[in-house]
Amino acid sequence: MDAECKTAAWMTDRLRTRSRYLLILLLLIAAFFAIAVVNVYSGSVQIAPEEVFGILSRQVGEEEARYRIVWQIRLPRILLSALLGGALALSGFLLQTFFRNPIAGPYVLGISSGAKMTVALVMIYFLERFHEVSSSVLILAALLGSLLVTGFILLLSRRLRQMPVLLIAGIMVGYICTAVTDFIVTFADDSDIVNLHNWSLGSFSGADWDNVHTAFWIVTAAFLLTFLLSKPIGAFQMGEAYAQSVGVNIRLLRVAVILLSSILTASVTAFAGPISFVGTAVPFLIKRVLHTARPIVLIPTLFLGGAVFCMLCDLIARTAFSPAELNVSTVTAVFGAPIVILIMLKKQREY
Amino acid sequence: MKNKLAALLLVFLTVLLTGCGGAGSGAAGVADPAAPDLSGPSAAQESAADPDAPVVDGLIYASTMKLDYAECFDVYFYEGGYAVVEIDGSRGYLVVPEGAEVPAGAEGRFLVLRRPLDRIYLAATSAMCLFDALDGLSGIRFSGTRADGWYIESAVRAMEEGDILYAGKYNAPDYELILSGDCDLAVESTMILHSPKVQEKLEELGVPVWVDLSSREPEPLGRTEWIKAYAVLLGKEAQAEEVFAGQKRYAEELAGVVNTEKTVAFFYVNSGGAIVTKKSADYIPKMIEMAGGRYVFSDLGDSETASSSVTMDMETFYAAARDADYLIYNASIDEPLDSVDGLLFKNELFADFKAVREGNVWCTTKYLYQASSVNGEIVYDIHLMLTSGDGAAVEPTFLYKLY
Repeated sequence: MDAECKTAAWMTDRLRTRSRYLLILLLLIAAFFAIAVVNVYSGSVQIAPEEVFGILSRQVGEEEARYRIVWQIRLPRILLSALLGGALALSGFLLQTFFRNPIAGPYVLGISSGAKMTVALVMIYFLERFHEVSSSVLILAALLGSLLVTGFILLLSRRLRQMPVLLIAGIMVGYICTAVTDFIVTFADDSDIVNLHNWSLGSFSGADWDNVHTAFWIVTAAFLLTFLLSKPIGAFQMGEAYAQSVGVNIRLLRVAVILLSSILTASVTAFAGPISFVGTAVPFLIKRVLHTARPIVLIPTLFLGGAVFCMLCDLIARTAFSPAELNVSTVTAVFGAPIVILIMLKKQREY
Repeated sequence: MKNKLAALLLVFLTVLLTGCGGAGSGAAGVADPAAPDLSGPSAAQESAADPDAPVVDGLIYASTMKLDYAECFDVYFYEGGYAVVEIDGSRGYLVVPEGAEVPAGAEGRFLVLRRPLDRIYLAATSAMCLFDALDGLSGIRFSGTRADGWYIESAVRAMEEGDILYAGKYNAPDYELILSGDCDLAVESTMILHSPKVQEKLEELGVPVWVDLSSREPEPLGRTEWIKAYAVLLGKEAQAEEVFAGQKRYAEELAGVVNTEKTVAFFYVNSGGAIVTKKSADYIPKMIEMAGGRYVFSDLGDSETASSSVTMDMETFYAAARDADYLIYNASIDEPLDSVDGLLFKNELFADFKAVREGNVWCTTKYLYQASSVNGEIVYDIHLMLTSGDGAAVEPTFLYKLY
């Protein structure tokens, strides 16, 4: 009788937990579509809702300004912010798992500092020698910088077994990259400095369909691979000894995790510049809301959470002081940090 | 497990490389439509008078604009009122007169600008005074600077009255406003070259981007001469000649004057306490030389690089400029100074400077950097500063004396 009761209670509890997961996922999906709709309708040019519907269903001529505003300005921007927001959250989760440290984020390892360094080098060199530089060159420079730092961290991880030590090494790499950037900037023109600063605050402005396509393939592939690694990551969370006992190749998993998180961070930095806060805060928030750290549940939820958070922040960035536009990092930190502090305070009170 | 992970990573890297390749070919592989193609069967025949004039099918070359100082642009005229403006020898703009046809094949080779151009987005601050001097503010519909950022009265008035709308900075323009307002040209400074994504987005939206390279002109009057390029856009060539001739007269008047050999330092103190001064090859030192003075640094900075400023520590500046006859405080980035005490507040060492002891400290107004249409007058004011003793003859338009 006792056993039956326990089973029933366990079943009820499990059902309740699953229902909560489902509810949160559904809420995030609803929020995603709601914010996407608000984003499509909002902008410095007023377009009536029925008109937007006509534009989206291509009933309006392609040459009309309203059509081009929606299809060439708003939609690519919404999709890019969603994709890259999800990528940042996922990247943060992977790094937090890898380092077993909740403050680890995509920028702790110096990946964005590496990207900034190569962008500074390329921007200054190209402008000095050729008087111009294309956006694809800057994208490749950011990608290269991110991957260079990642490669270096991977090399270090072969020698440094302790995660806190590796984390500190990553922070040091970031400092070195920042120092190199500062050194370059010392001899740069004022215009280089101003523009590098603007770039380093991140923006989805200027997103186009080429960016969306490329980001889609990279982020989707990384997402699927991360999702497929849910089980080994879950085992890794229980401790290395446990993971090894169930057949997880720890060394390879470490490489996979750090490579995936770096690729995700690199693609965000390449397409939108460094965007702070999302990678650290969103996994934290989602874990708090879900009351679980199970990767199979967390991965899709926090990806969606990151997408929703970034879309919302971008909406604020482009509409709050329109026609002037805020940098995304300004909004993500200013609007996101108080939420995290509030949640932490609430939890503290509960304990 | 090991094999599975290795296979997954391999798949991922393949996808990644495919994705990157796609982006690269999509963005970088497109030929620049603005680059003029000088090849063609009739090139030699039709441009016999000026071998540099681009051949445009269906148009007959008429003349080339005579430029006295400007080096960064050229203008070629064709019969029927057409013109090609080439900037830096690489970007070509075909200006089509009102109501005229665009020559076949021109769209791919040039950025086609159809007159009248009356919905311009102006993000190059130095160009506003040139439009103003041409009475061409009505051609500007959007500004990359807010009303309080302009020191040109008519520009401020136009913005306050709603004739010119603020449409976001050069690096974050309001694409929606620009597109919905049928913007026909974006006039950008060299800052846009640091934000290629913005330039590409504007062009994707069908807004041609004109890059004003006047800041790269080595001669002060070269900057002023850009008024002739804007005149082609507005169809006001005669007016531009008149304005430019007026400024040229100042330079001609000073050409025969013997140099006073008075040394001048031009600088500001940045937030870190370092001194930011101009390279010797910059246009400000040239203005000082034209005005009859000597720039205190005879060979400062690499003239080959695009940078115009040099940041140095106070010790280096002190050693070089302590005995300078005049100090001009550059208030373009920093706030203008009210008095010599303001300078001493930044660093007490300035009290040791000859110019401070002798009361020859001057400060620029914010207007100086928006006044490239009157560079001749600015040179003349510096000349008056150097020669009029107490400086009372200098109108405080661009420079004022600190007490």
